[in-house]
Amino acid sequence: MNALTKHLKGDKAIWFVAGALSIISLLSVYSTTGSLAFKYKGGNTEAYLVERLIFIVLGFVIMYLVHKIKYNYFSKIAKLLLVISIPLLLLTLFMGSRINDASRWLTIPGLPISFQTSDLAKLSLVTYVASFLATRQEDIKDFKKTFLPVIIPVALVCMLIFPANFSTAAMLFFICVLLMFVAGVRIKHLALMILTMVIVGTISILILANVPGSRVQTWKARLENFSKGEGGDNYQAEQAKMAIANGHFLGSGPANNPNKYFLPQSYSDFIFAMIIGEYGIFGGLVVMLLYLILLYRSFRIASSTNYGFAILLSIGLCLLLTVQAFINMAVSVNLFPVTGQPLPLVSMGGTGTLFTCLTLGMLLSVSRFASEKSVSPKTEEE
Amino acid sequence: MNRKADIIRRALLLYVFTGVFALAILARVVYIQFFIGPELRKKTKELTLEYRNVEALRGNIFSSDGNFLAISVPVYELRMDTKANGLKEEKFNNQVDSLAWCLSNLFRDRTKADYKSILTDGRRQANRYLLLRKGVSFSQLQKALKFPLFRDGANGGGIIAVASTERVKPYKNLAARTIGKNDPTGKPFGIEGAFNEELTGKEGVRLMQKLTGGMWKPVDDNYAVEPENGADIYTTLDVTLQDVAHSELYRQLSTHNADHGCVVMMEVQTGEVKAIANLKRTSDGSYIENYNYAVGESVEPGSTFKLASMMALMEDGYVKLTDSVNTGNGQMRFYSQIMKDSHEGGYGWLTMKQVFEKSSNVGVSMKVWEHYKNDPEKFIKRIRQFHLHEPLGLQIPGEGDPRIKNPKDRDWSGTTLPWMSIGYESKLTPLQVLTFYNAVANNGKMVRPIFVKEIRRRGAVVKTFGPEVIEEKIASEKTIAQAREMMEGVVKNGTARNLNGLIYKIGGKTGTAQIAGAGGYKNEGKVTYRATFVGYFPADEPKYSCIVVVSAPSNSVYYGNLVAGPIFKAVADKVYAGALDIHKPYNRNLPLISDTNFPTVKKGFVKDAAFTLNKLNITNEVVGMQSGFSVAKHLNQKFVFEHPRFTTGLLPDVKGMGARDAIFILESLGMKVKVNGKGAVREQTPQAGNRIIKGQTVIIQLG
Repeated sequence: MNALTKHLKGDKAIWFVAGALSIISLLSVYSTTGSLAFKYKGGNTEAYLVERLIFIVLGFVIMYLVHKIKYNYFSKIAKLLLVISIPLLLLTLFMGSRINDASRWLTIPGLPISFQTSDLAKLSLVTYVASFLATRQEDIKDFKKTFLPVIIPVALVCMLIFPANFSTAAMLFFICVLLMFVAGVRIKHLALMILTMVIVGTISILILANVPGSRVQTWKARLENFSKGEGGDNYQAEQAKMAIANGHFLGSGPANNPNKYFLPQSYSDFIFAMIIGEYGIFGGLVVMLLYLILLYRSFRIASSTNYGFAILLSIGLCLLLTVQAFINMAVSVNLFPVTGQPLPLVSMGGTGTLFTCLTLGMLLSVSRFASEKSVSPKTEEE
Repeated sequence: MNRKADIIRRALLLYVFTGVFALAILARVVYIQFFIGPELRKKTKELTLEYRNVEALRGNIFSSDGNFLAISVPVYELRMDTKANGLKEEKFNNQVDSLAWCLSNLFRDRTKADYKSILTDGRRQANRYLLLRKGVSFSQLQKALKFPLFRDGANGGGIIAVASTERVKPYKNLAARTIGKNDPTGKPFGIEGAFNEELTGKEGVRLMQKLTGGMWKPVDDNYAVEPENGADIYTTLDVTLQDVAHSELYRQLSTHNADHGCVVMMEVQTGEVKAIANLKRTSDGSYIENYNYAVGESVEPGSTFKLASMMALMEDGYVKLTDSVNTGNGQMRFYSQIMKDSHEGGYGWLTMKQVFEKSSNVGVSMKVWEHYKNDPEKFIKRIRQFHLHEPLGLQIPGEGDPRIKNPKDRDWSGTTLPWMSIGYESKLTPLQVLTFYNAVANNGKMVRPIFVKEIRRRGAVVKTFGPEVIEEKIASEKTIAQAREMMEGVVKNGTARNLNGLIYKIGGKTGTAQIAGAGGYKNEGKVTYRATFVGYFPADEPKYSCIVVVSAPSNSVYYGNLVAGPIFKAVADKVYAGALDIHKPYNRNLPLISDTNFPTVKKGFVKDAAFTLNKLNITNEVVGMQSGFSVAKHLNQKFVFEHPRFTTGLLPDVKGMGARDAIFILESLGMKVKVNGKGAVREQTPQAGNRIIKGQTVIIQLG
C-alpha cells in the first residue's frame, strides 16, 4: 500500500473514486452484456468482461502517466489540440463512420481504433477556456477583451459537434457557460450568449430538418416520444423504469434483473437503471455519491490553490465528468429524454473510457502540482 | 489571486445546484419504486421469456441441371384473434360478411355462409386463436393480408399467421426414394437422410417473449444467435432423363402388369447416376416410388451374371470366343438337377461368343463346371476380383448386401457352382450389377456410383464428390475387349436383337430369371420372372451404362429383351438425342441440294416459298404474280411460280399444299375444314371443281 501511495500522487480521494467506479463498471458490464455476448461472441460473456478490464487498465496507465505531467503544459497542448480538433470535427462530419446513423466516429488511419472527435474537442475546449479565462481575470467583465475571444471558439466547436451529436454539443455548451459563470463572466453576457445560441440552434434545426435523413428526425422523434410516451425510446424508458422498480432498496442481486434482456443499451445509456435494478437504491446512491465526491474534491483542489488556471481547470474538468454523469442518471430515471450520454467510466465503451481517464489524470495533476509549493507562480502567468 | 474568493463562491453555488439535481434524481427513483413500482413489477412478471431455438432453413436438393428436387417452402396456419384490441364490435359486424366472402373465394373449401358462422361463433366464444385454415401458401397469405379486417393487422384486425416450413418435391414421384425423406416420424432415407447434417444447418437461439394466444415475439436483436442455414446438395440426377426413365418404366410396368421394377442410368467414366427410377404396383394398379429397389433389393442376378462367368474363364485362359462347345439338346445333368436352355431342343454346337449371345445356360455352366469343378475356390477368386462380393459403399443408406457363396459355406452344394455360373444361388442388387457392367464399358476401371456431386453453401462449393475408383483394372485388356465384343454380339445377333439397327450401337446382356418365392421357384403354382437388360452405349465409345429390371411381369411376355429392352432403348434414345458430344460429326461440306436431290415445293403462299428457296440458294422466278397462292414448277434447275387456276364459285384444288395454306384458302372461301393426318394434302372431299356451298365441311386428308 505504501509503495502504491508513493507512486500515486495527487488527490487520494480522486484515485479512490476512479477505482470504485471501475469496479462498479466491471460488475455491471459483466451482468448486462449478455445480449452483446450472444450476438458477437457466441455467448461468451467473459469476453466483454476481459475487454472492459483491458480498457480500464489502459485507462489507469494513461491516468498515471498524465498525472505525472505538470498541469501547466496542458494549456499549450490544449490550444494545439483545439486547433487540430476543428478540422478533425469537419472531417468526421463528412467522412466519419456512422454508428446509429450519426457521424461521430473517426477511424485513425492505419489503426483499428476509432474515437469520437467530440471527446477530444470537449477536453481541449474546456482546458482552453479555463486557461484563457485565467489570464483574463483582470478584465473578466469586459466584452471585447474577454467575452468575444472566448465565445468564438466555444461557439465554433459546439456548432461543429451539433449536427451529428446534439446532446454532446448542448452539454459542452452548458459546461462552458457554467465555467464562464464560475470564472466571473458577466451574467448579462452569458444570457445574451445563451439567447444567441438558442436562436442559431433553432434556425439550424429548421434548415437541417429539410435535409433528408439528417439527425433532426431522430431528435424530433425523441422529443415527441418523451412528451407523448410512445416509440422505441419510450420502450427503453419503460423498461428502464421496470428495472428500477425491481431494484427495491438493496436490489435484486447481480445479474438477476430480468429487464436487462429487454433494455437495449443497458450496458451504456441506461446503465444507471441497471445498477439500481441490481443493487437497489443503495447502489444508485453509492454511484451518485462517488460523482459528488469527485465534484467536492475538485472544488477543494480549487480552493487550495492560488493559481487561476489551476482553479478553473479543476472546476472545468470536473464539470465535464459530473454534468455528463448526472445527465445519464436523469435519462435513466426518465427525468430527461433519451440522449445517449454514457456514464463516465462506468458505461461500456473503449476510447470514451480512455478520455475519461485522461480527464481524471489531468485533474490529479492539478491537485498534485498546484497544491505543492514548489511550483513557481511565474509559470502560471504565462 | 484576488478574484479567488468570488470564484469559489460561484463554484459553491454550482455545487448546491448539483446537490439539488441529485436529490431530484433520487426522488424520481423513490417515486418509481414506491409509487408506480407495484404496477411496473406486475408488468415485469407478465413478460414471459424463454430462449427458443430458431430453426435454420433446410438446404435445397438440386438436379445436375439446377432444378429443384427438394425444397423447403413456408406454409402458414391462418388464425384469428377474434377479440383483438382494435376489433370493435361494430367494425367486426360491418366487415365480417366481406371477410367471409373473401376467405371462401380464396380457399374454395367452404361457402361464404360457413366461413361467416365460423367467424361469428369464434367471436361469440371470444376465441383468440381461431383456426381458419391450415396449409396456406405464401401467396395465399399475401392475398389474405389484404382482406377486410385482416388488412388492419394483428391488433386492428386480429389476423394471426403461424409459419412453418414444409418439404416439397416439385417433381413429386421422380426419384423420390433416392431424394429421400428426413421425417422425424420415420426412418430417414435417401439423400435427405444421408446428407441430413449438411442440409439441416445450425439452429439459432433467440430470446422470445410470450404473447397472448401462444405466440412468441423476438425480444431484441441483441439476444439472438442467427441460425446458419443448411447447405444445398447438388445431385447428379438429370431431370429430363429421370423423367424419361420414370415414365418409360411406368408404361412398361403397366403394359406387363408387373409387380415392380427399376431403371438406373450412370455416366460410364464418372459413375454419376443420371437417372434412378423405382416403381411398385399399388393395390389400385398404379405405380409409386416406395422402395429403392435399385439400391436395396438384393436378388439373384440371373443371366446377367454370365458376363462374370465368361470373364473368369477368359481371365484364366480357359476359353476364347471362337472355341466351340456342344450344348447338345439344351439339357445337362448335374447330379440330380437338370440344367436347361430356354430354347426348346437345344442349340447344338455353338462358339463361346454364341453361347453368350444366345445366353445358353448349358454352354456357360458346362465350361465353368469343366474348368472349376475341382477348384471352385479359383472361380470365386475371379468373382471377388470383379468386386461382386462386396457392397459398393454408396452415398445413401439402404444398400442391399451382395451374396456370393464360398465353397467353405455350409450351404455350398455340388450343384452350386454350375447354377451360380448362370446367376442363381447368389444375390446382387441392380446397382451392383450395373457397376460391374459399367467397369467393363469403362475399359476395366470400376468406379463407384455417386448420387451427389457437390455441396454448396450460399452458392459457393464447399465439397465436391469426384469419380471414386474402386479398382483401376478389374480384368486384363484382352478380357475386357472380348467381353465388349460379346455384349455387342448380344444386340447384333443374340437375345437383344430388338435393340439393333439404331443409329448408335448398344452393348449389353439380357436376363430372364425365375424368381424364387417362399415356395421355391414356383410362386403359387405359376412361375414368376424377373426381366433384366443391362448394357451401355454408344458401344464404340461408351458414355452411359444403364440397367433395367422388371420384376414379375404377370402377362405372358417376360423375356428380358422384350420387357426391359424397350425401356433401355427409350432412355438411351433420349440421352443420345440430347448429348451432342456423342454424335458422329455431320459432314457440312456436302451441298444441301444437289442435282439429283432437288426439293419439291408444295403449292402455297408465294412469298413463303420464295423466301425459303432464297435461303437455300436455289434460283427461282416469280412469273406474273406478286403475292397470293402459287403453283411452283420445276424448270431447268429453277423454280417458277405461277398462279394456280382457281375458278370463282368452284372449289379450288388444294392438293399438294401444306395444311396451313389449304385451311387458309378453304376457310377464306367460307368453308369449314376438317383435317386428318400429317404432311401435305393428299385428298380432298368434296373434290375440286364442285360448286362452293358456304358452311359446308371440306375434309382434307394429309399424308
